[in-house]
Amino acid sequence: MVHANEGSRVNWIEHLCLSTREPVYRLIYFKVQNREEAEDITQETYVRAIPYLQKNHVPPDKQMAFLKTVALNIIRDRWRQHQRRGTTADLEAIAPKEAAFEDPVEWSVQRMTIEKALNELNEEQRTVIELRIIKGYSVAETAQIMNKKETTIRVMQHRALQSLTRILHDGMK
Amino acid sequence: MHDNERRLSDYIDQLNAEKKPKDHEHLGADPELQKLFHTARLVRSLREPAMPERDFPAKLVRAVTDQLVQTKQKKKKRAWMASIVGIAAVLALSLLMHIVSLFDQPNIVKAMEKAFQDVTAYHGFLEIVETNAQGKTTTQAKLEIWADKHGRYYIRELEGTNKGLITVNNGRTKWQIRPSEKQVHRFPAFPDPYRFAFELGTEIKGIKQAISTNIIREEKTGNRPSWIVEVTPQGGEPYRIWIDKETRLPLQKQYAMHHGIQYKLTYTKIEWNDVIPEKLLAYHVPKGFQEVSQNPEQIVTSIDEAKESVGFLPDTVSQIPPGYVQDRIAIIPDKKLVKLYYRALDKEIVIIQGKAIGKWKLAPTAMVGKIHHQTAEIQSPVVEESGVLGAGGPYAGLTDLHSIRWRQNGFEYAVIGHASLGDLIAFTKELTNGAFEMPTHKDPFPFKPKVEVPVDLEREKNDQKKRRCWKFALEIGSFVCGSSICQPANVPWRHYWRLPDSL
Repeated sequence: MVHANEGSRVNWIEHLCLSTREPVYRLIYFKVQNREEAEDITQETYVRAIPYLQKNHVPPDKQMAFLKTVALNIIRDRWRQHQRRGTTADLEAIAPKEAAFEDPVEWSVQRMTIEKALNELNEEQRTVIELRIIKGYSVAETAQIMNKKETTIRVMQHRALQSLTRILHDGMK
Repeated sequence: MHDNERRLSDYIDQLNAEKKPKDHEHLGADPELQKLFHTARLVRSLREPAMPERDFPAKLVRAVTDQLVQTKQKKKKRAWMASIVGIAAVLALSLLMHIVSLFDQPNIVKAMEKAFQDVTAYHGFLEIVETNAQGKTTTQAKLEIWADKHGRYYIRELEGTNKGLITVNNGRTKWQIRPSEKQVHRFPAFPDPYRFAFELGTEIKGIKQAISTNIIREEKTGNRPSWIVEVTPQGGEPYRIWIDKETRLPLQKQYAMHHGIQYKLTYTKIEWNDVIPEKLLAYHVPKGFQEVSQNPEQIVTSIDEAKESVGFLPDTVSQIPPGYVQDRIAIIPDKKLVKLYYRALDKEIVIIQGKAIGKWKLAPTAMVGKIHHQTAEIQSPVVEESGVLGAGGPYAGLTDLHSIRWRQNGFEYAVIGHASLGDLIAFTKELTNGAFEMPTHKDPFPFKPKVEVPVDLEREKNDQKKRRCWKFALEIGSFVCGSSICQPANVPWRHYWRLPDSL
């Protein structure tokens, strides 16, 4: 919808941002897993999407899907830039299907896959992953809880993630 | 390989700090390491996302609007004369600065936190005013308040139904001097479910944890220029709070109207002190008054004295976790329990121990850890008071209160406190020689519902509103003879405005 005056355009932008920001942010966060980057990409998403939404009179019921698509494209673009610099990082590959956030079943399956993979680790590996990544403890705190040295924790988490990567990779075959 | 281990660890640390990892900006890692980053993010997606800062919606709208709308405005400005552009720029800058200052909410919250960090104690006069739906205002109470960062306070009701009532918590004991009854009632100092309304530290904490805060305008409160901030808390109705522009601290709070009644609490005068005068915190029974003890605890001077009273030598921590000091030792003679109190600046932890009696039973909502292959009950927050928790005090339902309870060698132990679960774990590990294990992610909750119970969400919502209303009435109820509209049906009237005798 294009508005004649800037005042109503500002209101329209404000309404769009406030009414859609949470699911958009959640999707982005899901992929980048940190607030700083998620906030940054959320902002860029609206800056890129709004001119198109207004110019093409995108109806309200399609706006969310469009915003999510733009968000995913921005993440892909950023990652491709890195790839062009000679890396093989692939954020897309780690993400669930785009439909995941629309479909709780998909998300549930995704979650079960990760949990099943975690269960295949040995007790210590699972604990170190749980403490460091799921619970967010520091290396020092994890070392204290597990009664290990910090260097041991770093080695353990590295090996645990290697094993988990292998299990997930094999599971997707 | 060693370098990769460190980079992976740094990467996880940056995600945990909610910062953009350097490896997202400068990707120089080998493909294998990138795969591990990828797996780390995947595992991390099992967590709830960290939602944006409180000011994010306002920032987002401002940033997007600035980028999309300003472009057009700039084109219009090209035609203006340079001098006019200059003036306009100055005006626009002033306006922008004004808007930024108005909407710079995290700074307000951070400024409040920072300002309160410098406050060690304060002395104020609080006025509680009730307004009904017709706009008629009634002063419910005027209180003199002394409070400090250690959680100690002295409250005297200067005007109101309970004029002369004095409530004090000096960290060791809590008491209430009731002139009308010529009695002094003593209560345990911890936990302290009935503190006082508009406690500054609690207010700032509540604002920090709120879902949203919005500065709506500026106004003078008692000749003090203030910001009016609308706060939407995690639970309950939005309320307004007036922040002093000079001191950056709350001055006034206005609750939403409930059933035609609205409360406003105002510090008509407040000053900052280093300490609460000792004489106010010294327990005494005025001449002609009778002491009524509601406190089952008895302070003892040493572990040996405790042993003499309860018949066993209590375990103590081999090393007190950093930041804490041992505060006091108490016993509950009739229950044969020992309570060891540890205190940090604004935190308190109690170790309760006694002989294991009856069958070991876990609270249904608890997480389950392990100690020497035995289960350990972890409640965060405390919902049920089983075993020694039940005999130790009225803990259930208090927010920010966590506990770990277990049995070992014929004794039952509980570590409970207003502190992080991490602190409780540190104490528990000290008591169990490091044997305590947190639950694994597989099944941290011991019980699953067997039968699904239909819930009428609308009814539940309404019930919660009523409970919130009651909670608020209790919150200020220690000092205000509340309106009957909020009085819970099962609480005797006198308990409504006095500390319950059964605390």
